[in-house]
Amino acid sequence: MERPLDLRPVPPGEPVSSLDELARALRCLPGVGPKAAQRMALHLLQHDREGAQRLARALDAAAKLVRHCERCNTFTEEAVCALCRSPRRDPGLLCVVETPADLMTMEQTQAYGGLYFVLMGRLSPLDGIGPKEIRLERLLKRATDGTVREVVLATNFTNEGEATAHTIGELLTARGLAVTRLARGVPVGGELEFVDAGTLAQAVRERRSFDR
Amino acid sequence: MAPRAPSQRRDDVPAFVLHAWPYRETSLIVEAFTADHGRVAMVARGAKRPRSELRGLLQAFQPLLLSWFGEAELKTLARAEWRGGLPLPRGSALMCGFYLNELLLKLLAREDPHPRLYAAYERALAELAAGGEQAALLRRFELGLLTELGYAPMFAREADTGAPLDPTADYHYAFDRGPRRAEGAERGAGPRVRGATLLALAEGRYPDAETAAQAKRLMREVLDHHLEQRGVESRRVVQDLLALDGGEGQR
Ligand SMILES: [Zn+2]
Repeated sequence: MERPLDLRPVPPGEPVSSLDELARALRCLPGVGPKAAQRMALHLLQHDREGAQRLARALDAAAKLVRHCERCNTFTEEAVCALCRSPRRDPGLLCVVETPADLMTMEQTQAYGGLYFVLMGRLSPLDGIGPKEIRLERLLKRATDGTVREVVLATNFTNEGEATAHTIGELLTARGLAVTRLARGVPVGGELEFVDAGTLAQAVRERRSFDR
Repeated sequence: MAPRAPSQRRDDVPAFVLHAWPYRETSLIVEAFTADHGRVAMVARGAKRPRSELRGLLQAFQPLLLSWFGEAELKTLARAEWRGGLPLPRGSALMCGFYLNELLLKLLAREDPHPRLYAAYERALAELAAGGEQAALLRRFELGLLTELGYAPMFAREADTGAPLDPTADYHYAFDRGPRRAEGAERGAGPRVRGATLLALAEGRYPDAETAAQAKRLMREVLDHHLEQRGVESRRVVQDLLALDGGEGQR
């Protein structure tokens, strides 16, 4: 049944079949090549028309309605997201993460009761991503609103995440804020024998005094 | 068609990752600086998968042992092992590290071995991680890199005559020839610097802030000349950061 779809560029003025156009559109998804796009398009049309309609409506709504929270920069449909409006969060604490996914992961820990700022990226000098590209001045403004006491840096423990944390830390301590960085070390339940050497080496370097 | 045995396999080569780019959904393209084969590009298949052992490993600035195979320019990474022994640079040292990596990425040809430069790079990273003085270290690395590539700057003596430099005189530095006395020189003869700055670069010692700043500016122009105006992104990022902080550059 699977006829090969025509995925060549369409000459100007030539009509495109809806099926081809769908397959083409699906290729904007990460990791979806021509073959997979063709499979998905055919599946939707052959087996799941209703699913296809729902997908179309959901995509349309999300693309129209989702924007960035004015306070924390994460995705929301309102001007200020529910988390930022919550009276149960400590407004004196601001946690900086790279992505909305990181925010959700932090929330799953149930260990943090403050607010967030989502950078939507990180500094990556070799990719040409600097403070302008991630619009760091917005974070500076947010963190110096007079209510925030402590900024918790929860960027990734990659070189780029560390550079981002360092930069933000310098800028904010210079503005009189208390700045902390997530601790790192051996994972919970970790047995030394099976911990990767890089993590263990860092844990040795960052060892802390034994408190009784 | 029978699969061919992987050819040109290299095993456990000391190396550093210079940078990695996402490739397809789960892989990375890694540019590595290796001890025996210079800069090598390789695909790390599946390195972006959540449970991949390579995930945390293929980071810049940590000594690794890499194994790869393939004959084309883009190799396939077979294995990576953490070698350790070098703490990661932090803070502004990390920014310097990015800068060194960008220079190597932009100036080194692929698979052109430079064992001496590799040793110098390893030394520079160790000094950065140990919190060593950054400006002198960067100038030393820049000069070592240019020398290794056959563009050794001539700082100690006058071009044409070979006469020793006068620290108090001004010179024009011509990129392909060296310094010439500023008085009587034609226009466009290269950036103008004090003899003392050139001598400081030749000796690798910077007695005062003014000399260090002038040496930095001159090296920037020399490097830009060899980079053929391809910009240095890590330098621009640092400048943007300083602008954000309203500060003045130190490196
Ligand atoms: Zn919000």
